[in-house]
Amino acid sequence: MEKSKKGFAGFLKDNWLVIVTGLLIGAAAVLLTALGNPKNMGFCIACFVRDISGTLQFHQAAVVQYFRPEIVGLVIGAMVMALVKKEWRAQGGSSPITRFFIGMFVVIGALVFLGCPLRMVIRIGGGDLNAVVGLVGFIAGILIGVIPLKSGFTLNRAYKQSMAEGLIFPILLVVLFILSLCTDLFKLSEKGPGSMRAPWIAALLIAAVIGALCQRSRLCMAGGIRDAVLFKDFHLILGFAAILVAVLIGNLITGNFKFGFEGQPVAHTDGVFNFLGMVMVGWGSVLLGGCPLRQLILAGEGNSDSAMTVLGYLAGAAVAHNFGLASSGDGIGAGPVVWVLGAGVGFFALLSVFNSKRRA
Amino acid sequence: MSYIATFYTHVAAMLTHRTLTQNGINARLMPVPRALSSSCGTCVRYEANDPMEALLDRDVEQIAEATPTGYRVLKRFD
Repeated sequence: MEKSKKGFAGFLKDNWLVIVTGLLIGAAAVLLTALGNPKNMGFCIACFVRDISGTLQFHQAAVVQYFRPEIVGLVIGAMVMALVKKEWRAQGGSSPITRFFIGMFVVIGALVFLGCPLRMVIRIGGGDLNAVVGLVGFIAGILIGVIPLKSGFTLNRAYKQSMAEGLIFPILLVVLFILSLCTDLFKLSEKGPGSMRAPWIAALLIAAVIGALCQRSRLCMAGGIRDAVLFKDFHLILGFAAILVAVLIGNLITGNFKFGFEGQPVAHTDGVFNFLGMVMVGWGSVLLGGCPLRQLILAGEGNSDSAMTVLGYLAGAAVAHNFGLASSGDGIGAGPVVWVLGAGVGFFALLSVFNSKRRA
Repeated sequence: MSYIATFYTHVAAMLTHRTLTQNGINARLMPVPRALSSSCGTCVRYEANDPMEALLDRDVEQIAEATPTGYRVLKRFD
């Protein structure tokens, strides 16, 4: 469709879907918190993947182990919508191993900050100023990532694949989720964030609706800022803004708005690491072509590269907790946080240089 | 006529934009319109008398033309 040119009506016509999606994500985050999810964590891809990593015992942090239905809902919602709209396509083969490791570092960065870009916005909407520091880091990371993108960085193209390649990840996710409901195979937190849960059926259904909407609107936290910088295109960033508005209003209504740096839920006040963690997330997400939320949606659409990235997130969460890299409310982890963030920067920098000449 | 070419990679869109511009064709980079793809890549929009397939990068995904009501896909590449 041609871009509508005239006035507010044209603006709405072009952007209503991404705005509605953003508003509903914000509302869902507030609602899920009211239903039992941790504060300022109604929705967080990194945190929820980390909880799944824990429940599967990839790590042993007892306070963050739960098979979050939201992750399953997002993937399946996107999958059903893509199937209905005949957009489901098994494809992949665009540097899967590289994506796995970028994903790993993205989640390590997110767990140093304590949240993916989505939770960063939700935290800002809850009045958490530490997340504003995170946002500055996130934008800085995206700006760094845009430089290689402009000088020819590529993970090379994806190809059409067998149906199985696109189906294995969503099906495995559902099977494991059902096992988590019906058996006691997996570990469950008895206290801490992992023990704070909205009822699973509500979490699953709300997330499925959001997943379907995200498939239609292509909402992406990193893509919004990237497109604004690269093309002066502000379509996706409107979704980002809409989430913020909805969360802010929701928190004011429910009395969960708390302005300041100190005493914020599941957050720490170490500005340097809040900044650096999100630099890693922004930079990595631009190299990957999408934020953690977007990767889940693409995995639902049959994109096996994104599924590989999500597996990287799971591994990254395990590494973060097994080696003391993940932060907590008390501050940054006791492990070699600086070294690992440094390794991530080195890895991204090498990739940015060596992947910037396309294989002939 | 306005054409839109979408690509499997961002760099392919960039290279095509460069080639088209060097050949005197009015072209610009932009995000892929939702109607053309559920992926969020980069496309090239250009004004020409025909789709100029020979000038497009090998990682081209599809060529479409802009119509008053939307887009018409002319060719897909696997």
